[in-house]
Amino acid sequence: MSHEGVWSPSTATTSVARSATNELERRALVELALSPPRARGLADSTRWVSLGSILLVATVWECVGRSLDPLFLSYPSAITRAFLEMLLTGELVRPVMASLVVFAIGLGLALGAGIGLGLLMGRFPLARYLLDPYLYALDATPRVALIPLFLLWLGLGGTSKGAIVFLSALCPVAISTLSGVRTVSASLVEVGRVFGAGDAVVFRKVVIPAALPFILAGARLGTGRALIGIITAEMLTAVTGTGGLLVRYAGALATDKVFVLVGLLGLAGALLGGAATALDARWTPWTAAGGRGSLAPRGGNSPGGRP
Amino acid sequence: VGPRPESSSAAVGIALGRRWSPEDHPAQLRIASVAALLVVWEVFGRRADPLLFTYPSAVGRAGLDLLRSGELLRQLPQSLGVLGAGLGVSVVLGVTMGLVAGRSRLLEAALAPHVNALSAMPPVALIPLLMLWFGLGFGVKVATVFLFAFPPVLVNASTGARGVSGSILDVGRVAGASRWQLLLKIVLPASLPFILTGVRLAVGRALVGMIIGELLTALTGLGAMLMLYANIFETAHLFAVVLLVAALGVGLSQVAQLVEARLTGWKATERAIR
Repeated sequence: MSHEGVWSPSTATTSVARSATNELERRALVELALSPPRARGLADSTRWVSLGSILLVATVWECVGRSLDPLFLSYPSAITRAFLEMLLTGELVRPVMASLVVFAIGLGLALGAGIGLGLLMGRFPLARYLLDPYLYALDATPRVALIPLFLLWLGLGGTSKGAIVFLSALCPVAISTLSGVRTVSASLVEVGRVFGAGDAVVFRKVVIPAALPFILAGARLGTGRALIGIITAEMLTAVTGTGGLLVRYAGALATDKVFVLVGLLGLAGALLGGAATALDARWTPWTAAGGRGSLAPRGGNSPGGRP
Repeated sequence: VGPRPESSSAAVGIALGRRWSPEDHPAQLRIASVAALLVVWEVFGRRADPLLFTYPSAVGRAGLDLLRSGELLRQLPQSLGVLGAGLGVSVVLGVTMGLVAGRSRLLEAALAPHVNALSAMPPVALIPLLMLWFGLGFGVKVATVFLFAFPPVLVNASTGARGVSGSILDVGRVAGASRWQLLLKIVLPASLPFILTGVRLAVGRALVGMIIGELLTALTGLGAMLMLYANIFETAHLFAVVLLVAALGVGLSQVAQLVEARLTGWKATERAIR
């Protein structure tokens, strides 16, 4: 149910007989003919089908694109050429670096504050009831609606973009952390108590580690939202950064260069998502899918979803 | 989520003479917190520069002003039309493609790289291209909403369809159902909980898409109002529109949750029995 996760085609099912643990079981399964051998079809080589599908789309795009006005729809080879040209002239470096710095600072602050806020609200009911109206209201508000307000207050520079990144990522992180803390299994806490741990120790040594998969799921969601936030803010100000560059290329009808940036942003999204998954697998090896799948908090990735 | 501690202890009657605990008064604490914030905001907001900051009573007045001048009634339907059209196309297309892809490994493998690429990239980046193709009108905003809302519906529908238990499908086959009947009468209802989760996620994202599309085209709708009032330093009006968008977000997500709970009630009973 992790829609932010990678949609992997189900791998071809191995026949039941091959999954048998020993010879006897295998023979029994074969005799029972639970899974009659079937001819290997195209559907068994999912990887090749995926690759073929990508090639097909690229070919059709190339053919159709070449016959249309290049201002309207570019085509893959022209986009590759534009990418190489942009690399050689170095026009990408400054805007991308500007975006990266703002993004990293905003996201870092949001992770720190979001996890802190989630833990605080999870630990102390007083803090939870005083603060949760704002957290859920902010979460249900599209943060992009606040962009004009921040531009008004903080100007067109890096500060307002950093603030947008911060706010975009804050809610998913805080809410996910909170629901992680709130759903820690009572038996884990009781085991800690039995061993004589006080509230503070239980919180530090039982609750926080148990909430880690939720915290990471929140961080992953927050990263995606932050990417949307910064690009939107930069497109609206149209001055600096990758979003500004995007608007300028589109204004100049340089469709091939727009596609280069779109591709790079897709790559950035995939890399950030992949990094979050890798951290998840490394830090929470005890969850089946490394914290993904059914453990991904349903309340956490939904606007206004109360735990 | 188990029973709340206060209700269980109250039932046994051991809560008598307990110390005051915040756990017992969630609603009062929330109301007090919001009221305190409003008072502080009103007091400090009145002292600040009205061009940059505002206060609750001014926001209330601005909201009434928007309502009376007819501005809101002109722009809100525009926004809701965009939202409804984009969301509708996303749900119809996402559910259809998701169900079929979830039952066919071939189609799933062919679609997966493209869908993954689409959901990894921030959809905003495509808006300049959409403007080039669709102009600045209704079409570009619907397309933006679609780009935001489509991936979660598709992915959840296909996850649901893939997980439909083989035994219910066999029951259908034994009863002589055709492929289409299997899909419509068994796979669709069985994947409904997943589909509705996808739709709930899509509603929130569609609202974001709607606002972004309107901010960037800046012609009609709530997003255009936000841009306008920010540019002319009408901060109170800006806040009124932001609050309206927030209310829309809360309302829509509540409706989506309600529909989800209502339509998948059987799922909860099934779990309770097991």
